Amino acid sequence: MRSSKPAIRTATYAAAILVFGVAALRIVRVRADSKSDAPQMRVAEVQPRAMEDTTQKAVLRDYAAAWKAIGSAMVENSTMPLADNFTGFAREQLTQRIKDQRNAGLTTRIVDRGHRIDAIFYSRDGSAVELRDIAAIETQVLEGGTVVHSDTSRIEYLAILTSAADRWQVRLLQSVPDNQSTATNQH
Amino acid sequence: MRKLVLFGLATLVAWFAADSARGADLRIPSSGVAAGRPLTIGTDGQGDAVISLLGPGQVIQRKVKLGSEVQIKAEDLHSAGRWIAILRASGESHSRVFWVEPAQPENLSFLARPSRVPVAQHNAISGTVFLFDRFQNLVLRPTPVTFDLSVKGTGAKQSVGSRNGIAWIEASSGPKEGAAQFVASVGNFSVRRVVQQVAAEPCSGSLRMHITRREKDTVVVQTDPIRDCSGNLVPDGSIVSFIETDQKGKSTVDARIKKGFAQAELPASDNAAISVASGVTLGNELHLGGGR
Repeated sequence: MRSSKPAIRTATYAAAILVFGVAALRIVRVRADSKSDAPQMRVAEVQPRAMEDTTQKAVLRDYAAAWKAIGSAMVENSTMPLADNFTGFAREQLTQRIKDQRNAGLTTRIVDRGHRIDAIFYSRDGSAVELRDIAAIETQVLEGGTVVHSDTSRIEYLAILTSAADRWQVRLLQSVPDNQSTATNQH
Repeated sequence: MRKLVLFGLATLVAWFAADSARGADLRIPSSGVAAGRPLTIGTDGQGDAVISLLGPGQVIQRKVKLGSEVQIKAEDLHSAGRWIAILRASGESHSRVFWVEPAQPENLSFLARPSRVPVAQHNAISGTVFLFDRFQNLVLRPTPVTFDLSVKGTGAKQSVGSRNGIAWIEASSGPKEGAAQFVASVGNFSVRRVVQQVAAEPCSGSLRMHITRREKDTVVVQTDPIRDCSGNLVPDGSIVSFIETDQKGKSTVDARIKKGFAQAELPASDNAAISVASGVTLGNELHLGGGR
């Protein structure tokens, strides 16, 4: 009886260490995930005017919302989620894509794995912004419930946003092959 | 025996279909695919298949005989960006990613700000051009854009290369008032905007007043023509303040400029000082009673 007590104590300590270890690992992982999910924007290259803090926050908030809307619209084959965050050609283009893929019996699932965003243009009158976004995206195309295509890529996008009454709306979102965008926008 | 033959046949068909699908593949040009140009996609294998091309703003779907080529017409391909081609045959799918470039620039979106600007202001006018092709794709290839800002035949021309689909300039307003023609052009395509250049603040030397009429109870003062420092008449409607100060207190009249002049009727006084100002510009001062 006496000899089993140290063994039980050792087992208890080992179990406690294991539980704490697993918990710590989970916390680290959750923090790492949330860090990669939160989009961040750099403004060091922006021209011809500097971007105010409040504008940066608003642009980032509305651009992130636009990507969520794309994800919902593509997987549901519905144009409704596009209403708030898109305008002009970007909205027309996404609407047509959704109509076409609905007619073709396809849906697209976009798994957004993070964005690295640079503001590269902010118009003098404050009405338009251009962003360069390197997005880590998993794209799955489904026919019925079957995945017919899947790829994970880092895709570069150029986005033009314009200010509306209470938010920034995406007016153009165009994917760009590697090395086609210009790194700096200097005059 | 009959069941065995049927089973054998079914197995054969399934094997053949699977084998055909294994052989199915896509051949897409790795470069030179552009919006508004025809595209030829080659397929390998045997049997029937469906090819789907998913682009940023459209999906093209066709039935195809494996081993033949799929022709996409120039007018059917209009979204620039990343495309996915998927070939589905016998329950299997094969896919490729390819890129479509924008076409030539044919459409300029030109923002000219502000619409009204005082003359002779440094970098007060901004012009921004977004370059699009005829399908509204942003043209990313660096392209020279010419900006021409002129009033009554005199002005300045500037050529700027686009970057990431945008070209912009900042320009100073000219010395002459009038409707400035602000033109942005790329090749044969141009867009015109009008920026109204108006006189700037009155020049301190030009804001002078004199007495035009004296009556028993009133005195009427009027300015000379009010001009800015470039010699342009300050626009009608600008406010000029006349202030009369005497021992009883202060009387102020805010008058609008009409055809270059402003005038006010002030109370007559034995001993008063009258001053005139417009914006931050102070004019001359008159004295009533004790002489000028």
